[in-house]
Amino acid sequence: MKISYAWLKELTAVNWSPERFTEDLTMVGLEVESHQDLAQAFDGFVVGVVREREKHPNADRLSVCKVDVGRGDTLQIVCGAPNVAEGQKVAVALVGATVPHNQHDPEGKPFVLTRAKVRGVESHGMICSSSELGLGKDAEGILVLDRSARVGQSLAKHLRRTDVVFDVGITPNRPDCLSHVGVAREVAMLAGTRIKVPSAKVCEVSPPASTLAKVIVRDSDLCPRYSGRVITGVTVGPSPQWLQDRLSVVGVRPINVIVDVTNYVMLELGHPLHAFDLDTLNDRKIVVRRAGTDAEFTTLDGKVRRLDKDMLMICDGRGPVALAGIMGGANSEISGSTTRILLESAYFLPSSVRRTARALGMSTEASYRFERGMDPEGTVNALNRAAGLIAELTGARVQGGVIDVYPKKLRPPAIPVRVLHTNKVLGTDLGAADMARFLRKIGAQVKKRTQKRLTVVPPTYRVDLTSEIDMIEEVARVFGYNNIETRTKAGIDFSTTQGKDSVVNELRASLTGAGFQEILSISLQQEQLGALEGKPAIRVLNPVSTEMQVLRTGMIPGALEAVRFNHRHGNTDLRLFEIGTVFNLKAAGDIESLDGYIEEVRLVLAFTGKRLPVAFDRKPQEGDLFDVKGEIEALLRGLCLDKYRFISYDARNTLTEPTVAVEINGTYAGRFGKVKKEVTDKFDIEGAVYVCELSAGVLESAWVRERKYRALPRFPSVKRDLAFTVDRFIRQEDVASAVRTSAGPLLESLMLFDMYEGSQAGSGRKSLAYALTFRAEDHTLTDQEVDALIRNVVDHTRSACNAELRA
Amino acid sequence: MLDRIDQTRAEAGSDAAGLLSAESLEQFRVKYLARKGAIAELFEGLKAVPAGERPLVGKALNALRNDVQSLYDNARATLEAGRGEAAAVDVTLPGRGRYIGSTHLVTRTLEEFQRIFVSMGFNIVTGPEIESEYYNFEALNFPPDHPARDMQDTFFITKNVLLRTHTTPVQVRIMERQQPPVRAIMPGRVYRNEAVSPRALVQFHQVDGIYVDKGVTFAELKGTLVSFARQYYGSSIKYRFRASYFPFTEPSAEMDITCYLCGGKGCRVCKHTGWLEIVGSGMVHPKILQRVGYDTEKVTGYAFGFGVERTVLLRHDINDIRLLYENDVRFLRQF
Ligand SMILES: [Zn+2]
Repeated sequence: MKISYAWLKELTAVNWSPERFTEDLTMVGLEVESHQDLAQAFDGFVVGVVREREKHPNADRLSVCKVDVGRGDTLQIVCGAPNVAEGQKVAVALVGATVPHNQHDPEGKPFVLTRAKVRGVESHGMICSSSELGLGKDAEGILVLDRSARVGQSLAKHLRRTDVVFDVGITPNRPDCLSHVGVAREVAMLAGTRIKVPSAKVCEVSPPASTLAKVIVRDSDLCPRYSGRVITGVTVGPSPQWLQDRLSVVGVRPINVIVDVTNYVMLELGHPLHAFDLDTLNDRKIVVRRAGTDAEFTTLDGKVRRLDKDMLMICDGRGPVALAGIMGGANSEISGSTTRILLESAYFLPSSVRRTARALGMSTEASYRFERGMDPEGTVNALNRAAGLIAELTGARVQGGVIDVYPKKLRPPAIPVRVLHTNKVLGTDLGAADMARFLRKIGAQVKKRTQKRLTVVPPTYRVDLTSEIDMIEEVARVFGYNNIETRTKAGIDFSTTQGKDSVVNELRASLTGAGFQEILSISLQQEQLGALEGKPAIRVLNPVSTEMQVLRTGMIPGALEAVRFNHRHGNTDLRLFEIGTVFNLKAAGDIESLDGYIEEVRLVLAFTGKRLPVAFDRKPQEGDLFDVKGEIEALLRGLCLDKYRFISYDARNTLTEPTVAVEINGTYAGRFGKVKKEVTDKFDIEGAVYVCELSAGVLESAWVRERKYRALPRFPSVKRDLAFTVDRFIRQEDVASAVRTSAGPLLESLMLFDMYEGSQAGSGRKSLAYALTFRAEDHTLTDQEVDALIRNVVDHTRSACNAELRA
Repeated sequence: MLDRIDQTRAEAGSDAAGLLSAESLEQFRVKYLARKGAIAELFEGLKAVPAGERPLVGKALNALRNDVQSLYDNARATLEAGRGEAAAVDVTLPGRGRYIGSTHLVTRTLEEFQRIFVSMGFNIVTGPEIESEYYNFEALNFPPDHPARDMQDTFFITKNVLLRTHTTPVQVRIMERQQPPVRAIMPGRVYRNEAVSPRALVQFHQVDGIYVDKGVTFAELKGTLVSFARQYYGSSIKYRFRASYFPFTEPSAEMDITCYLCGGKGCRVCKHTGWLEIVGSGMVHPKILQRVGYDTEKVTGYAFGFGVERTVLLRHDINDIRLLYENDVRFLRQF
């Protein structure tokens, strides 16, 4: 909300600097987000008078002017405007001033004025148009000021742009502060003063209003109070300058005196008002009721609104004339020919206004205030203030009496506040007298006071104060949050703390150590990306854009997006990982409850490019599936020892080919493979991408955290190498497993250290070379023992895999 | 004296032959040429030499100093040109690289928050990102048809199911499961339906915290947050607490610390206020405690919530939140 410094000072008689207001209001919860000195925009601009005007010697369209700015010598200024003339009072930008709008710049960026030579003639300033000053659109000619303008006066002063405007963030609980009086009350509370309440005196004439108009409230549940006044003899014209200035400063466009006064009173007191042209009201009657069968209504902005039967409407003898508390209708609007008005000042039920405004997608200054809660006791005061002003400014007559339909008085609650409990919540040591003093400062009445308890009635405009905790907050606010101690309890009980590490931290440490860069993607994706894995994705009903429409069902598409992005920027050697939540629909789950959804944390790895970074003597080699497999094995071995298994997987329904499934302790944990070309093509990625996706949950439960020491070997090992040739279609794993079974328990490890296919291995065959390590726990193995084992291995492998021993 | 000069020259000559490493070179310099070295000592002894001999000895001393200096210079040049014993290896060749990984800035910040709060006795608890309307709003004292709901623009999946707009619902979930004392932080991802801009993205991370027990006060809340801020931002920070509004806490407060970029003088980052807002907080609203069946006569609690990305952007002077989720390795590798 925009708050004028001058207006605030007028209401409070507190003469603080803008900085002090900013600081102190912010501390009590009215956050001043910025303050803007309006005069600053016109630094270096003054009122001048054109003393002489001559044609420019070298340019037909230009004039050379001598301008008096009240500083001794006149300034020579070259001017291009056709309307410049001797004797005119004009707005002059002096050298060094920042001109807000550059007419010659396509974007109109501001510029700093310098001394210049224009076609050979020196120019020491600029005579400005209203467009250049940022005041209006007129760029054709210069702005000619009023004859009475004082030469040499700062332009800001002349234009009455001397105020400071605060932008105050008002939280939803403080509708009472959506006005200058509301903010002034907080200032008075801080400064320990009283506000100067604006006069709301009205001189009434007969006949009484009740003989000229009638108000019937049918649905008083939604409209607990409706007050109105009738004003006659109105002339609708522009407002006086002071009123227009007040509105302009806080960003409200002046329209006509009636609308301006209602806006002014709303900005001053907070209460929204509405003026009807009384003579357009059928039967000169107001009926407040639900829309019922009325299906459509045209608001004064010309839009046709579809009504719901429960929306509260202000109607006349025939039909709707306003959306209650939101906007008036085109049919009863104030016009140039209006002479008699019915001024409305009502209290509408906040939730009703909010429901209607939301259903219609509307938000107005009035609805914003009503839905937060206005003061039900404030209707008549606002009405009188506005009526008084209209009478004063237009010479209109206020008819006698207020039409006030208020069947059931709304009373603020009497709230018990316990002294001990207040101190228990705040950690303070305040007495009953302190608390009473603080609460009176916010305008509350302390009805009863003992050492232990106060009974407090909040002011009617503080609709947010309904319970003890609300009053405790007020005590804290007035006392000052920074006067409350800052302490922590001695002896925190740590016994309940579970500092248990999650597998996610372990994965991160392991992967960053292995050279993987962590990425984070957005969980919301475009539909095509979400659909890549062929699973139905969860849709958001109200997406911000098609780019972010569905929740990810898997982690691979997001990783491919990251690969695409980095390839496009020339980074093709990538090792990326992400740990994130994926979202899937539960088969036959209820989507109206959380039972319909499954959230799961997954890890994704993505590799592209070279196996190792380029080095001076290293041949650049592209990484392949077995680099990926090696990384995964290292990761799994670190977490869950040897409890994992790789299984060749049907690639039809996956993004990868080949696809290898990872099984840990017999549970499917995820898969890895090379991304299919048809998929990388969709992402415009060139070259191979390898990905792996694993379930963090499965890894978590397979994680072997507690490990027992196993005695180190006491006897030396014996190493032997064996090279076999086998048919090239025999799988390595089959050969290795034949070796393992036949070597028996003394085989400590088996490692494939060489493999090749080619003429040396024989046609259609390949060579596999293994290093075998044997060890016995209880004695040193002899050569004879090992030789016997090796013979056994060779024989068995030959018969099992048709493997020939190579020399 | 002249003998000592010759002796020193001979010794330096033999020492110089063994100058094959940077360390031995430095030892040589300290032994002979430094301010308290052998030659300086000899010059010191010059005062004791009879006046008549002084020019001659002085000349010899200067010659010695020049000789030793050139021994040193030559040895050094040899070493630097790789012509020493290790001449076969050109040590200026670059090391063979390996890939280097790092955690994401957001993760790292989350981990740091967790480390500090765990050290202060908080558990870590997480909850679902797809959340019910009830937990996200109603249980947190956002009444239906109340403008407080405008504070958080929401993505809906169905009428009653949404993407959580804060991690605060986890507070309710913990309290439903557990009797006081409850002391936990709740890190996680949250979503807001806002137009994408340098300051706003549809998702970000929060760390919420709650402590409910006998005797938990607003003073205690201040103590905890100040202790956190001192650990995270440094022990010399200045801070202030100011009134604010959240439906689920009362009294509610924002904590500001002096802007660490301008020291409080006012700059672009702190919007010329000299203060940076770091965390929203307050005393858990009694209605929330009552709804989970706690006795508000016996226990009170405080709660707080940090925005992680906001912290990251301020701390690293990053001007666009989207950089955090573009996954550009040129950006990620900077941290
Ligand atoms: Zn700053």
